[in-house]
Amino acid sequence: MISPYQCLAACTRRAADGHEWLLFGATGSDLVVQSSSGVASTWTPEIAAPEEPDREAAQEGPPAKRAKLTPVAEPKPNLSHLKVTKDGKHLVAVSAEDKCIRVFKVGDQCQLVQQSQRCMGKRPSSITLAMDDTTILCADKFGDVYSLPLLPSPEDEQAATPEPKDDQKKFEPSASVLTVHSGRNRKALEEQLKQAQKGAKQVKDTPRFKHHLIIGHVSMLTDVVCAKIGSRSYILTADRDEHIRVSRGIPQTHIIEGFCQGHEEFVSRLCFSKSGRLVSGGGDPYMYIWDWLSFRLIEKIPLQEPLFEHYKGHPHHTGAAEFKVAVSGIWAVPNSAQEILVACEGVPALVSFKLGSSSRTGRVLPLNGNVLDLAFIAVGAGHSIAAVSIDHVHQPGSKHELRQESGASRLQCLSNHNSGEWEDDETLTKALERFSRSMPNGARESGTASETDRGKADNKAKALRDLLYGVENLRKRPGAED
Amino acid sequence: MAAEPPKRQKREEYKRSLAADDGALPKKKFFRQRAHANPFSDHALTYPKSPAEMDWASLYPAFAVKKPAQGEDGKEIDESRADGQAAHEEEQREARAITKDVEIADIGCGFGGLLFALSTTFPDTLSLGMEIRISVTEYVQEKIRALRSQNAENQGYQNIGCLRANTMKFLPNFFRKHQLRAIFLCFPDPHFKQRKHKARIVSSTLCSEYAYVVRPGGYVYTITDVRDLHEWMVGHFAGHASWARVEGSELEEGVVGQCVATMSTETEESKKVTRNNGEKFVAVFRRIEDPAWPGEH
Repeated sequence: MISPYQCLAACTRRAADGHEWLLFGATGSDLVVQSSSGVASTWTPEIAAPEEPDREAAQEGPPAKRAKLTPVAEPKPNLSHLKVTKDGKHLVAVSAEDKCIRVFKVGDQCQLVQQSQRCMGKRPSSITLAMDDTTILCADKFGDVYSLPLLPSPEDEQAATPEPKDDQKKFEPSASVLTVHSGRNRKALEEQLKQAQKGAKQVKDTPRFKHHLIIGHVSMLTDVVCAKIGSRSYILTADRDEHIRVSRGIPQTHIIEGFCQGHEEFVSRLCFSKSGRLVSGGGDPYMYIWDWLSFRLIEKIPLQEPLFEHYKGHPHHTGAAEFKVAVSGIWAVPNSAQEILVACEGVPALVSFKLGSSSRTGRVLPLNGNVLDLAFIAVGAGHSIAAVSIDHVHQPGSKHELRQESGASRLQCLSNHNSGEWEDDETLTKALERFSRSMPNGARESGTASETDRGKADNKAKALRDLLYGVENLRKRPGAED
Repeated sequence: MAAEPPKRQKREEYKRSLAADDGALPKKKFFRQRAHANPFSDHALTYPKSPAEMDWASLYPAFAVKKPAQGEDGKEIDESRADGQAAHEEEQREARAITKDVEIADIGCGFGGLLFALSTTFPDTLSLGMEIRISVTEYVQEKIRALRSQNAENQGYQNIGCLRANTMKFLPNFFRKHQLRAIFLCFPDPHFKQRKHKARIVSSTLCSEYAYVVRPGGYVYTITDVRDLHEWMVGHFAGHASWARVEGSELEEGVVGQCVATMSTETEESKKVTRNNGEKFVAVFRRIEDPAWPGEH
């Protein structure tokens, strides 16, 4: 079994014979690339050698526990975000478990060469590129946005290396005996004094590369996007507490221009329409359309209703009460000023709607499986082609049940010609056959699971589910503590 | 299920008896709550979607645009929103509105010592106490109710209100851009441990949020008895491009002087510190005008 593509990204770049497009996909911890000329390549992270138990240390100390015979290799971190620069020269990939931002150079033959690997302090929840693709903005689960140079210059590295601090600075408790204390504070103070006697406290490593904190919410960030209107640049951030914040761009990110307020559940995705509107979605049953420069809600487009209508009889949809939408992706169709495509977690369809049109409901476009991600491939001005990553492991419409049949494709290609209708694109499907089937070396799995492997397989299934379906978990649960 | 703990039972009985007597001041001992709250957790909070939807009229009934039809039924406005018609929403909006804006926020107001002092120091300004601990908020609300009842003749204490809120998350849900002229941060939780520093009420990113709700020329007043926290707050505000520290004689003159004096003597915590002969560290910061956009003049 190969795992689906949890992220896709695409770009167009100049090639020897005009232009070519590239499609990038992340499957588990591996990357796959294919160009329109058919060249493909893959990238797999190097497996970190499992640490040898330090024998000398073990001998000195008290009798150590018997070392495990086979040291457990760290599972490879799964990739959670992909972003490619407009010129197609660099790919930024974020891996979830090790919180790392990796930058790759994309070679002429699609080969990926890792240029840098920067591990953030907190897990990144969204990234975007700013300042003409020279800067990475990384939003994290702690609510902060950091800016990092895409390609750190040697000076940056030097500047970022902290000077050796005066470690011998004597510890002084921050409170005195005269400080008014609660019992807890008093305990904390005693702890601090005890710690000080033991020796210098260990300060947790802060990342050693150049990075600046530019924006922060006291809430988990879910998305960050940039916009430029005339000479003014903006950064928009969305969080789990229903906020969409509009800040000025670098270097005035400390100025908050305003908030787009109206969501009643978490916001998970932001997207600009080609006409400049902001489209946001999350745990609400509507898509929100904003005149974001004036922080005004223009309209709410029902999302749950059309989906529910469409899947009323579907075995995996139990009832209206339990059917909640969690928006996992919003995309503006490149050749249309007004059309927006929306994906909801665990739903085997896209919803298409047009801003400002008289019909206020979206159209449901059923697909072969749950939509995981989408990337537009530029082929010409006339029409748009979308490569859609399909969950070929789970049943369409379910986040838990596995498919019985195998051999489902993990990619579905759609195109809209002048009619505006989306249809399966046979040509591209054929062209991306290799991409769709591609299986990097690391992803191979041994044949059928034996009885003893059952537990392992369950764990694996859960890990995959967590990787593919995390948006609904953002919803607040009733009955939280006081 | 086990019997209700006697403490809770006592508290509930007390609160019932309190509700029966309009003029009775609440007793603190029935409203105590541990001094720390986790600002990151999803408390079961109620907060408006936006400042425009805030029900100010129930907090400041004397300033309501539309007087409630029957007696004190300020809170009993018809909540049915099923039809969601614009006219209905407009009506609701009007019912929630007050004739002037809240301009002073006491963030982490605790048992409200400063808030009650602000009521008399600035009789023409609406002040709002914001507190994350639910029992403590109830105490302040009860005390406001009692004081209003006792001072019904001269309309005293109508200009203050108190609500439960996590301001670190939801400040912009309550206040419009530049609505406030002052924020007080009095004796905030010091969060001594290094890894708890993000939970402090002051951080460089929260300074941006305070700058959003405070108008240029407005102030943030801080006071603490913890030197380390004082330095932390000064470092973050003074290091933020939207704030400048107010120093020297300015701290003793005019409105700023008034505020500093009130804050240093009237908060519950500052009285405790005085009793303990502890030190108090005061800092005041002025909101600087935002610069022009890059490349614009």
